Amino acid sequence: MADGIATLISSVGLTQETFLVFCILAVLVVGAVVVIITSRPILDIYPYLNPSARVRARKGRLFDEKQISELVETNDVEEVENYLKGVPEYADVLDAYPLDKALDVERANTYDFVARVAPKDIKDPFVVMSKKSDIDNIKSLLTAKEVGLGPEETRELLIPSGSLYDELDSLADTETVTDIVTSLDGTEYAAALEDALPQYEETNMVLPLESALDKYYLGKLLRSSDVPSDENKQILYSYVGTQVDVANLKLIIRAKQDGLDYDAIAPYILEEGYQLRDWKLKDLMESPDVTNIVSGLEGTKYADALTDVMPVYNETGSVAVFEKALDGYTSDYSKSLASKKPLGIGPIIGYLSQKENEIKNLKIIARAKREADFPNSKIMEMLI
Amino acid sequence: MVEIALGTALAAIGAGVAIGFAGLGSGLGQGMAAAGSVGAVAEDNDMFARGIIFSALPETQAIYGFLVAILLLVFSGLLGGGQGLPTEAGIVAIGVGASIGFAGLGSGMGQGMAAASSVGAIVEDNDMFARGIIFSALPETQAIYGFLIAILLMVFGGILG
Repeated sequence: MADGIATLISSVGLTQETFLVFCILAVLVVGAVVVIITSRPILDIYPYLNPSARVRARKGRLFDEKQISELVETNDVEEVENYLKGVPEYADVLDAYPLDKALDVERANTYDFVARVAPKDIKDPFVVMSKKSDIDNIKSLLTAKEVGLGPEETRELLIPSGSLYDELDSLADTETVTDIVTSLDGTEYAAALEDALPQYEETNMVLPLESALDKYYLGKLLRSSDVPSDENKQILYSYVGTQVDVANLKLIIRAKQDGLDYDAIAPYILEEGYQLRDWKLKDLMESPDVTNIVSGLEGTKYADALTDVMPVYNETGSVAVFEKALDGYTSDYSKSLASKKPLGIGPIIGYLSQKENEIKNLKIIARAKREADFPNSKIMEMLI
Repeated sequence: MVEIALGTALAAIGAGVAIGFAGLGSGLGQGMAAAGSVGAVAEDNDMFARGIIFSALPETQAIYGFLVAILLLVFSGLLGGGQGLPTEAGIVAIGVGASIGFAGLGSGMGQGMAAASSVGAIVEDNDMFARGIIFSALPETQAIYGFLIAILLMVFGGILG
């Protein structure tokens, strides 16, 4: 057989050395092809492995149903606080701040953590989300100055977090709403606030300033996640876009309940929604009432959630049912997105969404426990 | 220059393929498992031991490749003591290397992904340990097939005989 092979090699005009070189080259080419093909999925997965494990570790420490039931069964808000002090996640913040503020700080810390560990490709939207505490702080400052709170009372409302952390003290020392806007000159929020300032001066209400901030935040969030080039970014875009749509919908529903028309609502709406594009939003804003908004949403993914609670709205006349339904929808949708890419962005979205719900639920429980004889069954109904 | 028979030279390529590709798969897999484990340990110190176990799982593919490569080097006479391999046995040796090399590559990568995912599941829920090990061990089978075929090729291809 050796002779046969030798004859074959020489019949194609190769010496033994060139045959050897040919074999080495063939191995190298095949190897290169195999490595290129197999490394592509690895390169997609690799950046997410460490962040996924970190968020899943924290997800595992979220409250389960039994713990939430135990919290609901507590007798008063002090018991809630003591219970939370026994949980490592909340112990530190509760040592430093009162309950409600501690929950806000914990939420801000959660967004900071996710923005820190998120892979580079998807970091931007989470960095924007981590600045939500800035928006909340500016809103608190505006409200505090509108009602004439002093520096110390104002400081109590602020979340010690975000990019304005170093300036919070000096901002709390200001005296008027206009001073706040002037003091924020040079920050990324200045343009949005200055544009809305004339409207504030005209109406003497901070609502236009708050809405301008919300619009700025949502716009930045949506733009930070555009160009969904791969599956992870597509999931992120859906997640962020749904939040923008839900914020727009809540605003339109509440405005219609208050009897506002298109011209009054339009300035506060972020036109470039996700599934609800500009033309659809215009239709909704022009709807005569809340019932027509819900029917106008037919064919969109938000229709079912809102239609289901329509009878409750007809009975109570409260748009809070729609807001709760939209929050529930956002939570369920985030959960479905979380399971789509287990070795990608899924665990990050799952954790954020569940932690957000946990903090909302804790706030509901704390608020209910401050009221005497608030029935536990009612609290359970209110939980997300 | 040392005179090496064509068959021995081909066996050397086979040995390179065996440990090269198996090592690549093992390295990628171990890297993935270790990346997940580091993340888990950063959040929970108790995960260190379990993280090490899952990170070590994709090591086996490199061991198979290393064993096959050593056998090829020894029995081809490249490490001395033999007469060198005939050409046809040298070609069989490339098949031996490809068998464990490519099987080890796929198996290592698959095991790395499963191990990284398992570490994430365990750090979220401790009870997942046993199931995580089972799922992570599954991709080992491909490397075992590759290793068996490599041994059979060496035995019946005139290398170990």
